[in-house]
Amino acid sequence: MRKTIASVGYLNAWPLTSKIDRSQFRLIADHPSAVARMLEDGVVDLALVPVASVLGGKDLRVLPGYAIGADGPVHSVLVVAETPMEQWTELVLDGSSRTSAMLAKLLVAGPWKAHLRDDLVVREVEAGTGVHTARGTVASLVIGDAARDLPERLSVRVDLAEAWKAWTGLPFVFAVWAGRPDLDIDVRGSVREAGRQGVDAIDADYVGEEHRYLTQNLRYTFDDRAMMGLRRFAALARKAGLAKTDEIKLYGPPLKLVKRATDLDTLLDKGAKGERLTFDEGVRLQKEATISDLGAAADLRRQDLHPGDDVTYIISRNVNYTNVCVVACKFCAFYRPKKHGEAYVLSRDQMAAKFDELVACGGIEVLLQGGLHPELKIEWYEDLFKWIKAGWPLALHALSPEEIYHIGTVSNLDLRTVIARLIAAGMDSIPGGGAEILDDEIRKKIAPLKSSTDEWLECMRQAHKLGLRSSSTMMMGVGETAEHRVKHLLRLRDLQDETGGFTAFICWTFVPDNTYVKPSGNTAADYLRTNAVSRLFLDNIKNVQASWVTQGPGVAQAALHMGANDYGSVMLEENVVSAAGSTFAMTIDEVERHIRAAGFVPVRRNMRYDHVGGALTVGRVNEIRLA
Amino acid sequence: MNTEMTTFSHVARDALAAADLGDLRDKVLLGQRLSFEDGMRLFECRDIAAVGALANHVRERLHGDLTYFNRNLHVNATNVCEANCIFCSFARLKTGDKDAYTMTIDQAVGRVRALKDELVTEVHIVNGLNPDVPFSYYTDLLRAIKEERPDIHIKGFTAVEIAYYAEKYDMTVRGVLEALVEAGLGSLPGGGAEIFATRARKKLCADKVDADGWLGVHRIAHQMGLRSNCTMLFGHIEKTEERVDHLLRLRGLQDETRGFQTFIPLAFHNENNRLQRLPGPTGHDSLRTLAVARLMLDNIPHIKAYWPMLGVKLAQISLSFGVNDLDGTVREERIYHMAGAKTPQELTRADLVELIRRAGRIPVERDTHYNVICEA
Ligand code: SF4
Ligand code: SF4
Repeated sequence: MRKTIASVGYLNAWPLTSKIDRSQFRLIADHPSAVARMLEDGVVDLALVPVASVLGGKDLRVLPGYAIGADGPVHSVLVVAETPMEQWTELVLDGSSRTSAMLAKLLVAGPWKAHLRDDLVVREVEAGTGVHTARGTVASLVIGDAARDLPERLSVRVDLAEAWKAWTGLPFVFAVWAGRPDLDIDVRGSVREAGRQGVDAIDADYVGEEHRYLTQNLRYTFDDRAMMGLRRFAALARKAGLAKTDEIKLYGPPLKLVKRATDLDTLLDKGAKGERLTFDEGVRLQKEATISDLGAAADLRRQDLHPGDDVTYIISRNVNYTNVCVVACKFCAFYRPKKHGEAYVLSRDQMAAKFDELVACGGIEVLLQGGLHPELKIEWYEDLFKWIKAGWPLALHALSPEEIYHIGTVSNLDLRTVIARLIAAGMDSIPGGGAEILDDEIRKKIAPLKSSTDEWLECMRQAHKLGLRSSSTMMMGVGETAEHRVKHLLRLRDLQDETGGFTAFICWTFVPDNTYVKPSGNTAADYLRTNAVSRLFLDNIKNVQASWVTQGPGVAQAALHMGANDYGSVMLEENVVSAAGSTFAMTIDEVERHIRAAGFVPVRRNMRYDHVGGALTVGRVNEIRLA
Repeated sequence: MNTEMTTFSHVARDALAAADLGDLRDKVLLGQRLSFEDGMRLFECRDIAAVGALANHVRERLHGDLTYFNRNLHVNATNVCEANCIFCSFARLKTGDKDAYTMTIDQAVGRVRALKDELVTEVHIVNGLNPDVPFSYYTDLLRAIKEERPDIHIKGFTAVEIAYYAEKYDMTVRGVLEALVEAGLGSLPGGGAEIFATRARKKLCADKVDADGWLGVHRIAHQMGLRSNCTMLFGHIEKTEERVDHLLRLRGLQDETRGFQTFIPLAFHNENNRLQRLPGPTGHDSLRTLAVARLMLDNIPHIKAYWPMLGVKLAQISLSFGVNDLDGTVREERIYHMAGAKTPQELTRADLVELIRRAGRIPVERDTHYNVICEA
């Protein structure tokens, strides 16, 4: 048997009803109160009814997806009068819309109360008599067509949806699809689909005044915000004794959920399988996918690339050989001008002490970085590197592109020569720092004096071609957009196609500290989202490192389940090393504990991401320190 | 399958299958109740992306993107406590002990008065079990706060305190509750539940009211028309089965009364108490616990992340792991901070709103009963 659907006959209902398949359903259009009665009496299966009908205590369900509402002035539901609100003695409520009448009563008892006379009489009358009753100090509720051609004498016109919005900040919902709880699921699907088609076709189906009304004054999506508006209305109406219930039951999850789960499926699947995503696809994922879905996809991809239970980390030491820098980046709290009282260049003795400690702790790599000192030439670096290599069994992970270019400038050498000479002197790999956001629009803002995007990439290109490996990074949260982030990833991916020299990718968030950059988009959610997108987008970079340093150990654990396979490094910083041995031991211990607690097995690695045997135990570290 | 049922993305479905949770996905989709064994499997699953996706589905089905917060003030009027819970860093055994305090009514009300120009909607009162004050201390406190701020909602006194008053002042639980409500009490917080299982509870907090006593207080409160919250302290000496048992007992009472509004899992912190040998749960465990709670407690509407305990970053992430409520702009929280929580003591409203938005959710300011005050 064909199901019967009823709807109010107004223009504003057409987009939701005109595409309903008449061969499948019988469609009845009538006055709101008649439609509501048909639904209550069980004559129809589903009906587009004023919301007052679903607050009457009958067991009805509301269909999410589409409804008739307004988020601001609606123009078709007005209280009109010849005189200002302060003078009204009577308010006549036209009975043709119970919902609008309820709304008017709530406004009278709420935000309007202070303006109205205490002895104002509110009177309900038969449907369709509104305009004529509004005279002198009598105000009147008018609805629908009547509200559009008002005589000039009615100069005071208060839009109820606008008043609601000003009061609550929420959209108002006038009518919803409602039906009995056991309504066939296919009916619901068809009606909702018809709504989608109808709303999508408004531009094609309507012109002029009608088009303007349907697109500018009405809001057809029944989403979370509309639901909030409806709930608020229901709660207020119930409190005022105008509604029997304030409980609104939905048939199923909000439409957005359904859409959300299916819209991006293709892209998420592609990413999870390791297929190449385009720039636009990356942007869509970055902007639209939920953290849950991104996490699930990135985890699937990680499981493919790194099956098994190992999660790696490295013990390293960050030695900043000088803090003198000529660049003065906005976000940098580290540099000092050469003449500054706190400016330094580490002596060989100072460095030797650090390397001794590092080797004693089982470290196998040192990270050597500094500012851009105006007088240190390539010979200084060559001597330093050779000296380190001769004295300690440490791999040299050294110098940002910034420093390499700077050495070239100070020494009057080209990029390739600088890198080749540094390699000959003992440099093993370069860190991928200083990439920040690889887009000149952003770089110019946060680091105007630093290398450009192309320069940064060129330095990496040359280094990779000369056999060096490097990691790659992104510093986010400096005011960049989703597009900037994905462009950054794209540039890294392109270069990786060319050289294959990147070992890993790490994103971290900007941590403000004495600096001038105002952070935005540097929350943990931004981080996890970008971490997962990078795992999907960088199909040619094997490792993704979690950043517990900026995110804390817990979020970094989550990152291990959302794309990352490496837990970063334990850095022996001076304050930590010089404190009690247990502090340092605890640091390694804590890193391993968090990796284990996240369900993985901690494994130490070198900077090429080769595993270097079992993890160093705490006992072993203490032993070394005591020796 | 029709569209309303396919509210999982392919990748979420695949991740659940890879984590061996495919059958639970089907149960959740069909709205079937999860069993004790299901709870055990979820707690033992390391793949939190999968468990989180499942919990997120339920969260979105119930609340869409809406994420609630409120503006409240915590008052801990006295930290003198006869009980001797080994995880407690807050209480002092006797009046006069180092750092022991008992505020005068005026001092306590002063906290509320200090915020008179702010739109705080709720005062949250929790105290030690102080043997040195009369019952009227509490009723006077409530009256004085109500006098200062008649509009404010007072959520106060854990079931442990209520049961203690009943015993100490020789009253019935109902009598205590009635007297407090009379004086202005609006609802009960969920504290003091810790872990219900007798084995763990005896070791942790032998002096506290037992599981049946705790649940009994809430049952009576619900029957009287009061709403309340519930909690679980996790990450100390409890076993996995004791966590699941705890959740099931709460679910059981909720079936009976429908009086719980919110479940709040509390992560154990280890500083300044007698459990320093235990490191406390990691973020991974906290996220998983929130997610499992969302899945098991199918009859409790809200799951709250208490950010002073969890940290702001994890609390934000938890919005994708089943959580739909962040604690308010908390002021003057002492209990967790005395246990070493390193989170800031208060977040501004703007901070909270930004955190929720950046997580892709819609921030909504609520009152104690989850009435929407405004969309932020
Ligand atoms: S180049 Fe490096 S050291 Fe110099 S100011 Fe910029 S970030 Fe700081
Ligand atoms: S947890 Fe509560 S009951 Fe136990 S000692 Fe602390 S204040 Fe007292």
